[in-house]
Amino acid sequence: MSAFLSSAIMHNIFGGLAQGVIYSLVALSLVIIWQSTHVLNFAQGAMAMFATYVGMTEIGRGVGYWWCVLISVLVGMALGGATERVLIRPLYGKPEINPIVVMVGFLGVLEALAAAIWTSTTRNITEPFSQIYFQSNGHLVFLSSFVIFQIVLAISIMLFVAALFRFTKLGLQLRASALAPEVSRLLGVRVSRMLTIGWILSAGVGSIAAVIIASGSFGLFPTNMDGIFVASFIAAAVGGLESPIGAVAGGLIIGLVEQFILAYWSPNVAPLSGIIILVIVLMIRPQGLFTKHASRRV
Amino acid sequence: MIKNRLRRSITLLSVSALALGMASTGLLASTASAASTPGVTANSITIGASVPLSGIAASYAPVSAAANAVFKYVNTKGGINGRKIKYIRLDDCYDLASYGLGCTAGASVTTLSQNQVLVAQDHVFATVGSLGTAAEESVQAYLKQNGVPQLFVNSGSSAWDAPAAYPNLFGFQTSYQAEGKIFAKYIKAHYAGKTVGFIGQNDDFGANGYLGLADGGVNVATANHLSYNAADAVTGSTSDIQTDVGTLQANGVKVVVLDSVPGFTSGILSVAKALSYKPIWIISNVGADPTSVNNVGEAGALTLDYFPAVTDNADPWIPWVRKVLLADKTDFPSFTSSSIITGNELYGVGYAVAFVETLKAEGKNVTRAGFVKALTSMTLNTPAITPLKYSASNHQGLTGGAMAKISPNGAKPPVEGAYVSPFVYSTGNSKGSPIVTTTKLDVTPIPSWLK
Amino acid sequence: MNWWTSLRRQETTHSRLLGVLFLTLLTLAITFILPPVADSELAGGAAIAIVILGLSWLTGWSGQISLGNSGFMAVGAYAAGIWAHHHATTPLFFTFVLAIVIGGISGLIIAIPSTRLHGPYLAGMTLAFSAAVTPLAQNFTSVTGGEGGIFMNSLVTPKWFTHFFSGQNAAINANAQWTADLAVVTAGVAFFFMANLFHSRSGRAMRLVRDNDVAAELMGVNLSRTRTMAFVVSAAFAGLGGALYSLLEASVRPETFPITLSITLLTLMVLGGIGTLSGAVIGGIIYSFSANLVSHVNALTGVNPTSNLGANMQGIIFGVLLILTMLFAPRGLVSLATPMKRLFRARPQKPASEQVH
Repeated sequence: MSAFLSSAIMHNIFGGLAQGVIYSLVALSLVIIWQSTHVLNFAQGAMAMFATYVGMTEIGRGVGYWWCVLISVLVGMALGGATERVLIRPLYGKPEINPIVVMVGFLGVLEALAAAIWTSTTRNITEPFSQIYFQSNGHLVFLSSFVIFQIVLAISIMLFVAALFRFTKLGLQLRASALAPEVSRLLGVRVSRMLTIGWILSAGVGSIAAVIIASGSFGLFPTNMDGIFVASFIAAAVGGLESPIGAVAGGLIIGLVEQFILAYWSPNVAPLSGIIILVIVLMIRPQGLFTKHASRRV
Repeated sequence: MIKNRLRRSITLLSVSALALGMASTGLLASTASAASTPGVTANSITIGASVPLSGIAASYAPVSAAANAVFKYVNTKGGINGRKIKYIRLDDCYDLASYGLGCTAGASVTTLSQNQVLVAQDHVFATVGSLGTAAEESVQAYLKQNGVPQLFVNSGSSAWDAPAAYPNLFGFQTSYQAEGKIFAKYIKAHYAGKTVGFIGQNDDFGANGYLGLADGGVNVATANHLSYNAADAVTGSTSDIQTDVGTLQANGVKVVVLDSVPGFTSGILSVAKALSYKPIWIISNVGADPTSVNNVGEAGALTLDYFPAVTDNADPWIPWVRKVLLADKTDFPSFTSSSIITGNELYGVGYAVAFVETLKAEGKNVTRAGFVKALTSMTLNTPAITPLKYSASNHQGLTGGAMAKISPNGAKPPVEGAYVSPFVYSTGNSKGSPIVTTTKLDVTPIPSWLK
Repeated sequence: MNWWTSLRRQETTHSRLLGVLFLTLLTLAITFILPPVADSELAGGAAIAIVILGLSWLTGWSGQISLGNSGFMAVGAYAAGIWAHHHATTPLFFTFVLAIVIGGISGLIIAIPSTRLHGPYLAGMTLAFSAAVTPLAQNFTSVTGGEGGIFMNSLVTPKWFTHFFSGQNAAINANAQWTADLAVVTAGVAFFFMANLFHSRSGRAMRLVRDNDVAAELMGVNLSRTRTMAFVVSAAFAGLGGALYSLLEASVRPETFPITLSITLLTLMVLGGIGTLSGAVIGGIIYSFSANLVSHVNALTGVNPTSNLGANMQGIIFGVLLILTMLFAPRGLVSLATPMKRLFRARPQKPASEQVH
């Protein structure tokens, strides 16, 4: 058993899953925003990073790790709501490139501001769980307490969001506002409030991903979410920007493929793995793997 | 109609050409002065360096600060041949300003842009003690083209030893390759029969170190020859470390050579400790910062040192260095007579001393060509424990060092360079040159005018 | 119509040539006046202006957003660098042509899967491309020199040019000047080509696709071929700009072209005015003197330049400028409003009677 667990295949599966759930989380947050407001939030990672900084600086003053996580998530949610109100709302009805560009600008500001306030040196937060791999019979099993925490937390959040959308009245209203805003308004749903809530929810999910990343060996620094954003966007696109399940699946797929390319093909090619998957998927099925309706065609 | 247009075109063009001509003649009217050496006046000489004062490599800032302390000390004694030395140190963030990482020089700063400021704006005589392999490689063509000597580059790359292509380019420290050869000799003498492993950075640093080991006759099995991404060391990503260390442990490696920067070195050591892996560590001089090594309790690790032990009061240089640093209240405000002198500070003092000695030897008439000529023909007295002698065929600088054990952090603070054996190795820079061993440390006297 | 209006409107090749020539000569004259360090900043701005030209073409005139131009810059730069490293005696002109061609080819490769994509998908795809460039360059060490990169010999200043200079620092001034002048002339040539493209049939087809792609296709314009062309042209210009940029730095390394550069390019283009030639010039100028601009802002607000805030001022200023410009004065993008609105029906529209909560 221990030989199997420490084998190369399992090494790569564990590694791919661990990274993949992070991509799934961020991809999910992107899909939530896309579904409600048709904006691709390029600043998603940066906002989550910023919120993590705000929360984690409290650790220096002796506040417990878990309280800091809570603070980070709450700050992230507030930031998401404020962003929708201040930056996105004025752009409804305008060309769809405008909010993208604004979010790109916001990304730049957040990263520069974070470096200005907290310096751009990597901060390693005292890890809540050990990151040393387990050893079994002298062989390394490429799982640590931290990795298990990462996977469990991410899956829990995704299940929570799924339950929220499916089983609660709020979730129903959110879905209705996204699919048919005019009808929802007629039925008494306060659509603009739903949009803000969509952003708040999405930001919360994204913040959790950023907190996990910052607590791990990668550390906390202003540009730490950049690569993750790119991979998560690809995951969301592969799964189809309209489908939350697609986003989650996409994240896991990207994580695993990246890991296996790294291990079995060449570490050189690994940065290209995202693009390769994206191109292949979009050539075969331009609307993504999981969406139901076809894209517009002339 | 067309004729009209043609006339207008000609008018427009001639107006532009006239403007251009006037602007350029303005330049011709500039005062033509006699050809003199840039950076040199009757009572001063200006030199510069691009060094990491902030950012990922800011821990190297004391190197150039210590050199500056030597220059300040020399200036209080009237300078060299009546010229005071002005040392301009510009922050290039190790040429990684765009990465952030704590850099405060500005996002668009590069080593090249800072060297352009030094050359085209500050008109330095030479760059002295600029730091970083990639950083300095990026400016060597520019400096060569503008005739500016590039002296005492702080890096162990063998790239500085290219007298034919770059006659005014000089290194200072023992190359990584030579270091690897010395490690190999030591391993063969003391750890024959034990499996050797290697973790190095995947650039010149690690590659040359590995080459040196092979040159010296130590073969590291491919499975035990591991490298980590230099970029990871910059961003601090440590995902490789556990895999690398775990692999070596599983393969029964008993002696591990580390060619890694200090941050990564301490990461490797702490992971090994957590995995209860206790090989013999041999760490490159670059990565053997005693504080970080001792913090993970791996005192006893071996390294190569080319400066005397800071507690070796028999060495005349140590008290002198202490005197110089104590006198510099600006850059070393908290340095006291019981402070530990670090290897970084000795390094800076080393090249500063080489500079002032050469300058003095050149005499009253200072030119760039004359300086280089003096540098390649004289014997230099520096704190280093192996000879520093440049020649027409050696622009590397130091070529050897002594194996040293990093002292435990006990009642005494960490001491760098406590020797495990009184052997000093020196080796030429070319691949085939043999290693020369001696039991004598090369302790040179301090010139009387410098004391 | 008199000659001045025709010059401003740039409606004939003749007037375009004159206009570009005049501007180039004017800028050359400026390089003679500026000190050497400012000259090299100007040269950098010229290289960036070339890239912005290509980006403007893609975004302003064909309506597609691309964050991939730093990637195309890198392709051109590495192509030029690798060639120049092995064949140091190749004339500069040929190296530039190589960068343009290779850049264009890479644009073609990226365009093929991208023509099906709209809006955010395209933006994300191009972002993924430019994000992949730095790690690729770091990994394929044998080709790209890895982290250390490739070093090129500095441009050699011809003797006849050096004669204009005298004094103690003649050589340094001459070298800086020559490099800057070369950059300005290259930019001038690039501008000339772009001005002609704008007025050509392809340019008109492209603007038609931007304004009303349904009508364009009905009229027989091949949508995907036009979009592909836009990418190729944009990438070719970016390749040239990247090669020039690297020649100025005398090296090309993985960290020379980070994603933040794509964001900076976008910002500069928006600030200058999307889809205009003058916009690219303005963008280039802002880039050249951004360091000075930032230090002025620092001085005005009393911020210490070596503090964390001072060091990151540039990023903050640029980001805020971009946001404000897009919110209040998007200009070029406003003309894209009509067709884009129709594409996505699920956009939440506020009826006039609805109040904002």
